Amino acid sequence: MHYKFGEPAGRYLGPGGGYHVYSGSISEAAPQGYGDIHVHKMAAGEFNFQYGPSTGGLMESVGISLTTPGELINSVGVDPYFKARELKLKGQGIETALLMVERINGFHAASNSLAFLMAVEDALGIETSEEVQKARILQLELERIRSNLEVMKRMCEPAGFGVPTNQLGYLREKVSRIISSASGHRFFFGVNAPGYASIAYSGINEKLNVARQEFERIFYALLESKIFLNRLQNNGVTKDQFLSGPAARASGLRYDSRLDSGLLPYGDTPFFPAVREEKDCFGRFSVRGEEILNSIDIIASLGNLRETDRHVSKAGDGEGCARLESPQGDIFYYVKIRDGKLEDIWHVSPGVLNVRAFQESMKGNIFTDFHFNWESFGIWISEIGVVIR
Amino acid sequence: MSNFWFGEGLRKGRKTEKFPLAPPEEPPLWPSYLDGNAEPYCPTEAIKEGMWDPGRCIFCRLCEPQYKPTGKQGIFQVRKTQPLLKKSFYIYKLDSGACGACNVELGTIFDPQYDANRLNIFMTNTPRHADAIVVMGVQTERMKEALKNAYEAMPEPKLIISLGACAISGGIIGKSPMEREQYHVEIAGCPPSPYTILEALSRARGV
Ligand code: SF4
Ligand code: SF4
Repeated sequence: MHYKFGEPAGRYLGPGGGYHVYSGSISEAAPQGYGDIHVHKMAAGEFNFQYGPSTGGLMESVGISLTTPGELINSVGVDPYFKARELKLKGQGIETALLMVERINGFHAASNSLAFLMAVEDALGIETSEEVQKARILQLELERIRSNLEVMKRMCEPAGFGVPTNQLGYLREKVSRIISSASGHRFFFGVNAPGYASIAYSGINEKLNVARQEFERIFYALLESKIFLNRLQNNGVTKDQFLSGPAARASGLRYDSRLDSGLLPYGDTPFFPAVREEKDCFGRFSVRGEEILNSIDIIASLGNLRETDRHVSKAGDGEGCARLESPQGDIFYYVKIRDGKLEDIWHVSPGVLNVRAFQESMKGNIFTDFHFNWESFGIWISEIGVVIR
Repeated sequence: MSNFWFGEGLRKGRKTEKFPLAPPEEPPLWPSYLDGNAEPYCPTEAIKEGMWDPGRCIFCRLCEPQYKPTGKQGIFQVRKTQPLLKKSFYIYKLDSGACGACNVELGTIFDPQYDANRLNIFMTNTPRHADAIVVMGVQTERMKEALKNAYEAMPEPKLIISLGACAISGGIIGKSPMEREQYHVEIAGCPPSPYTILEALSRARGV
């Protein structure tokens, strides 16, 4: 296994499997300061307002409790376990388990399934070709473009900006169609296997270049819109370092598994982490926009990819893990395999750190800030509210 | 700036397809109607005695090449229509235990390529204003009550619609949140494609 159990090493990725995972180790020790989340005591004149779990205004079922004396929000609690699903993964073979892992977060299925498969490959000592590694980068960057478009679209909605909302939705659907024609499935379900990644490259660059021009017009116009910026600037300012993905990078933190995981050859591409200092919704919005443009450049640099042989399977026992950069941040999978079956499996979702940061960042904001800020973190509840058995 | 967006809207022109009056412009293969007749291994038992049940299928491709996708998007069943709702059809989504992909595909039918609003289909934020509840995902303990409350809050006449394999049959993840017979409309797929969702909702109104 290329990861080590031991003392905390590197930046903190989050809790999982009863451990605390860092960029350089798996440890029993939580990082200093991680437990220090302020617990609000209700004051006179305050009341509690429950939002969710089911409401048309939220993408997924989630319980949100807001404490307020009226307009100002003094405390927020997020309960991601209303729709907690139990996945029976232990004891399953890799093929069946993969079907469920893809569906832990269907919108980020490439990130989840590839992190899982790379952990399996680590456990079983399966080498992957350069072709497969590049095909994986292609999947991850297409998924990132689509996910960032979705978040940006949802940040325009509460501003009542119909035209950019629709145009970003149009581009998001265009990318879904690119994914569908390149991989066969709009969400990358059923396209991956150990040692293998299926995706056809032809025509992707041309389509993405057209999308890029359309996106740049919308993005730069939004960055000049005073009404829009007013809603984002100083909204949801984050204060601590326990963050992941675009939320971390918008807070001046150079956190990105593409920089330091070493599992995929991002060094051979024009990848650079988009880092900003604002720490607020505006920073998160800008980072996502810059990442879309960078992902298109990364894809263009990959060159033509050939189809690889399917099912490079290998039986055996072993323990392995893998970390990669999903659209919401570092995603980590651990597996233990015996006789080709999963004896143990757990994952760390970047959403856990980001939910915590969202709660802290909402304090002192007002109700109308809520939707912009929630959407800006790009949190997927399905990936957090899941119990692996 | 508002002039800019107005101009942008005009500049882009109409992006909406004519579907369902015309064939879909870019139908996905997975999911679509599967054609085959053998008895290959299927992890959800969607193939039994040579019959394929789209409501159990998660479109995982493990039955390829015995079963092949045709690209046909009509993988839905409408057991009851509600012609009263022809002029305006408000749906309320309920995520019982979905992975997120069904959620996104339902939202996609309001994007310019599909524009569900032109077919008088709208999303509402509260079950009190809904004509139909669209159930997504598997049954989960704490969402049982939310589903029951939402259903009871809806005025009559109301339709119950299942979206995706999890809601219809439990798919590969678990148990469906309602008995299959209770649904008036079943929209198959994992997740269902926006074309399938759009046509199924349109038919549910008796159009
Ligand atoms: S695609 Fe998968 S779930 Fe559907 S019938 Fe084939 S094997 Fe079964
Ligand atoms: S049917 Fe498929 S896509 Fe829909 S929620 Fe279930 S697993 Fe996700």
